[in-house]
Parts: sequence; structure tokens; C-alpha cells
Amino acid sequence: MPKPIAPPAVDRVYTLNLGPQHPSTHGVLRVLLDLDGEFIVKADPVLGYGHRGHEKMGENRTYKQFMPNTSRMDYLSGLLFNHGFALAVEKFAGIDVPLRAKYIRTICAELNRISSHLLWFGTYVMDLGGFTPFLYAFDDRENILDILDRVTGSRLTYSYCRFGGVCQDVDETFLEMTKTFIDRLRSRFSDYHNLVTKNIIFIHRTRNVGVIHPEQARQFGVTGPNLRACGIPFDVRKMEPYELYDQFDFEIPTGTNGDALDRYNVRLEEMEQSCRIIEQALARMPKGGGYLNRSVSSRLTPPKGEVYFAFESARGLTAYYLVSDGSPHPYRCHIRVPSFSNLHVLVDVLRGTMVADAISILGSIDVVIPEIDR
Amino acid sequence: MGKKELILQKLREMLPEGAVIQHDAYTSGVAFVARVPVSGIVEAAEVCDRGGAYLESMTGLDFEDTAEIVYHMNVYEPKSRFSLRVLFPHDEKIPTLSGIFSSAVWLEREVREFLGFDFLDHPDPRNLLLPEDADFHPLRKTFGKIAAYRKREEIYA
Repeated sequence: MPKPIAPPAVDRVYTLNLGPQHPSTHGVLRVLLDLDGEFIVKADPVLGYGHRGHEKMGENRTYKQFMPNTSRMDYLSGLLFNHGFALAVEKFAGIDVPLRAKYIRTICAELNRISSHLLWFGTYVMDLGGFTPFLYAFDDRENILDILDRVTGSRLTYSYCRFGGVCQDVDETFLEMTKTFIDRLRSRFSDYHNLVTKNIIFIHRTRNVGVIHPEQARQFGVTGPNLRACGIPFDVRKMEPYELYDQFDFEIPTGTNGDALDRYNVRLEEMEQSCRIIEQALARMPKGGGYLNRSVSSRLTPPKGEVYFAFESARGLTAYYLVSDGSPHPYRCHIRVPSFSNLHVLVDVLRGTMVADAISILGSIDVVIPEIDR
Repeated sequence: MGKKELILQKLREMLPEGAVIQHDAYTSGVAFVARVPVSGIVEAAEVCDRGGAYLESMTGLDFEDTAEIVYHMNVYEPKSRFSLRVLFPHDEKIPTLSGIFSSAVWLEREVREFLGFDFLDHPDPRNLLLPEDADFHPLRKTFGKIAAYRKREEIYA
């Protein structure tokens, strides 16, 4: 006699392991979801698969030796981390930077920000089932990688900045390529808006999905585009201007609802603002004056004490907290990474949403897991 | 008066004289530093929370003679970061801030696993980044290769 089929267990919580091999979870994110039917009761991100001990390495290396590590945390905006570390040590040790180098760094950093947002744009829309925009975004991003490859020598894990400048000067071709690229990207925005922003399927999958309230954002320390989408105009480039950001004319785009659609709009608008910064920098960059302060010793010893230097990476407020005992090695090298807080807020946001929306929300937050794991 | 100034004023009233030091030049990235006793950290954090600050970062420091935690707080205003610093013996348990700032849950998990500083009544004391069965604390100066193990006064005169 066949066994009777058991009735469906309606009152039981079902645990679903999302990732790390799931293609729509970025990097190596693993989330344990407790489900009641299709609704999420509890989300528990499991981290650490990409932990390499950068903070411990920082304590065992000289300041200069730590430079290549910086671009390996957030590998999508490595140059911004690179730039931030150079700025932190320069502030700590009181190093002057030639004006031309400042312009070069700003241009490269903003290009990197655009490339990071482009990658997010492409992969996010792909998460939601749209394959074509991904190809467009990667086509554009490829141009940035080519430009940065020419001057930095690498395509992803840059180590371009030095304490007191950059490791090599840019040439006329670089300036020409950047100018052409900005014009090209400007013309592509209308394509993006036609393809994605006005797409009804996209709007339905993002509007009112994964809403982060301003109070929630404050509780969890959310920063970057995710915070600005809640309507709080907080950007380190405006709040604590570093490098040349106080001399450029640009705006901080903000949203109103804090949902996935707002986060999308903020990032797209941010790319346009980065274009504005690059154009202004290209126009004002001095022809001479050197690209590197050559008086900086490679065994640099900042004075005893500490510095906490914050900058705006593509994902939010990032900071290096360096404590020096007066030796060539930092006594403590802590890195405050934005994705850490941005992912933590999901524990709260995912509760009560559906699994299909979880994919949309995870993507819209734009986390880079190796940055959290460090 | 900005949010930062209001919090500064409240902390001044709460803490003994000389515990709050202002850094108007913002050279080390903070507007002021408040030295808080272990017993007062919850109250100080509540002041920050009510004043509209968010907990930006939490760093554990290991010195030969003492342990220290630095809480970096910020409000959404220009140049408004400040820090609370707590000194305590290595084996003392610190009150958790997870009841005040949600972000403290993960930040404290990270400090606990990497430095071995324990938090009293922490709601979720599992490892966050290290393997779940890891019983070592990599950022302690007694772990692995290190450049130097110093007393606190050697760095902060």
C-alpha cells in the first residue's frame, strides 16, 4: 500500500540558503533566509569568505607597502581606496602634493566612480532579468578601463597613487580619451533612460521595494547613495572637502522614498555629476608643475598619534584610522568600510519582504563583500 | 547651534572636567574627543543617539598596559565627527551599545572576535568575519608577527 502523502507544513519555518554560489548574489554573499511561505521572517548574512586580514597586514607593513592592499578591498572602486589612503597618510605626515597631481587623481578617481556605478547598473538590471543594458554598461565601462590602464598599468586593482602624487604623469592622449569618453557617456544616458528608467517592468520591481527610512539608515550607519536616496544630502566630498572637491561645481543628488528606484536614480545622477567634475578638472589642470613630490622617503614615519581620514568611495563613507607609534609601521590600521553598514541594514529591511524582492533589494544596495570581509 | 555642539554641551555636563578635548583644527579627523569611563559609556551613547548622531566606526586598540575602544560618531553636518574613547583592563567586560545603535551589533561582533574584548549581554556574540569555530584573536598584539607592543603612553603623550 502506498504511503499517504503528508499535508504541506504550513506552520513551519523553512530555511533557504541564498548563495554564495547563487549567480545573483554579488561576490560571495551568503544569506540564510527563514521563510514563511514566500515571505522572509529572518535574514542572517554569513560573512567572512573573503577575509584576508588587511588590518593585520597593515600593522606588519610600512605605509608604502600597504598601498597595493588598499585597492583589493573594494575591487570595483580600488582607485578611490588608493586615493583615500594616500590622502590619509599625506595628512598624517604633512606631505605636500603638486597641483597637477591633485587634478590627475581627481580625474582618475571620478572615472573609477563612474566605472563602479556602471558595473552596478549593468549587473543590477541583469539581476532583475534584463540582459541588454548589461552589455551597454560594460561597453562603456571598458572605455574607462582602457583609459585607466594606460596611465595606471592595471585594470582593476590599481596602485597608482603615491604619497605626494601619482606614480606617472598623464599625456595628451589620456586627456583626449577622457574628453571623448565623457561626451560619449553623456550621449548614452538617454539610451539608459529609454532602456531601463522608463521600463515598466523595472519600475514595478523597484518602486516601493526595499524602503530604507532615514531613521533606520541612521541607526545602522548607512552612507553613500543608499543614504542619499532617503533624502539626506550627506556626501563627504561636500561635508569634509578633501583634495580639490571644494573648488568644483557639482550637486549631491538625493531621493525621497529611499526605495530601490531612488537608489537607482541617485546613482545614475551621480554619474552625470562625476562627468561634470571631470570636465571642470580637465579644463583647469595645469600643464606643468610635476606629478610627484619626490622628497618623500619610502620609509615614512608619521609623528606619534592618530588620524581618521574619511572620503567618499562609490559606496559611501570610507575611512582609514591610522595610529602611529613613530615607527615606519602603523600601530593600528583600521578601515571603516561603507558596505559593512549598508549590508547590515538589510537584516532589518528584508524582514517581511518576498524572496523575489530580496534579489532586487540585495542588488540595489550595491555591496562588495570582500570590502566588508577585508 | 548645530547638532554636534549640542551633543558636546551635553557630554561636557555629564563628564568630569577635562574629559572632553576640542580639536578645532580638525587635524586628526574629529572635532572633539570625549574620554568616557566604562560605567558611563551607555549614558554617553544615549546622549549621542538623542542628539541625532550615528555610530560610524568602532575600533579596538590593544596596548601592553590597557585596552581601548574608540567609537567614532558623526552627524549629517559639515566636519562634525567626534569620538568617544573608553579605557579598560583587557579582561573587563564592556557594556554593549546594541540597545542604542543597531549598527553596534555587528561592530561589536567584529571587535570581539578580532581583539577578544568581551561585551556584557551582547545579543549575538557569534563570530562575524572569522570562521565560526575560531578561538584566536588576530588583532591582539600577542598574535602572530607584530612590529611592536607598546604602552599607551608611548603613543598618546
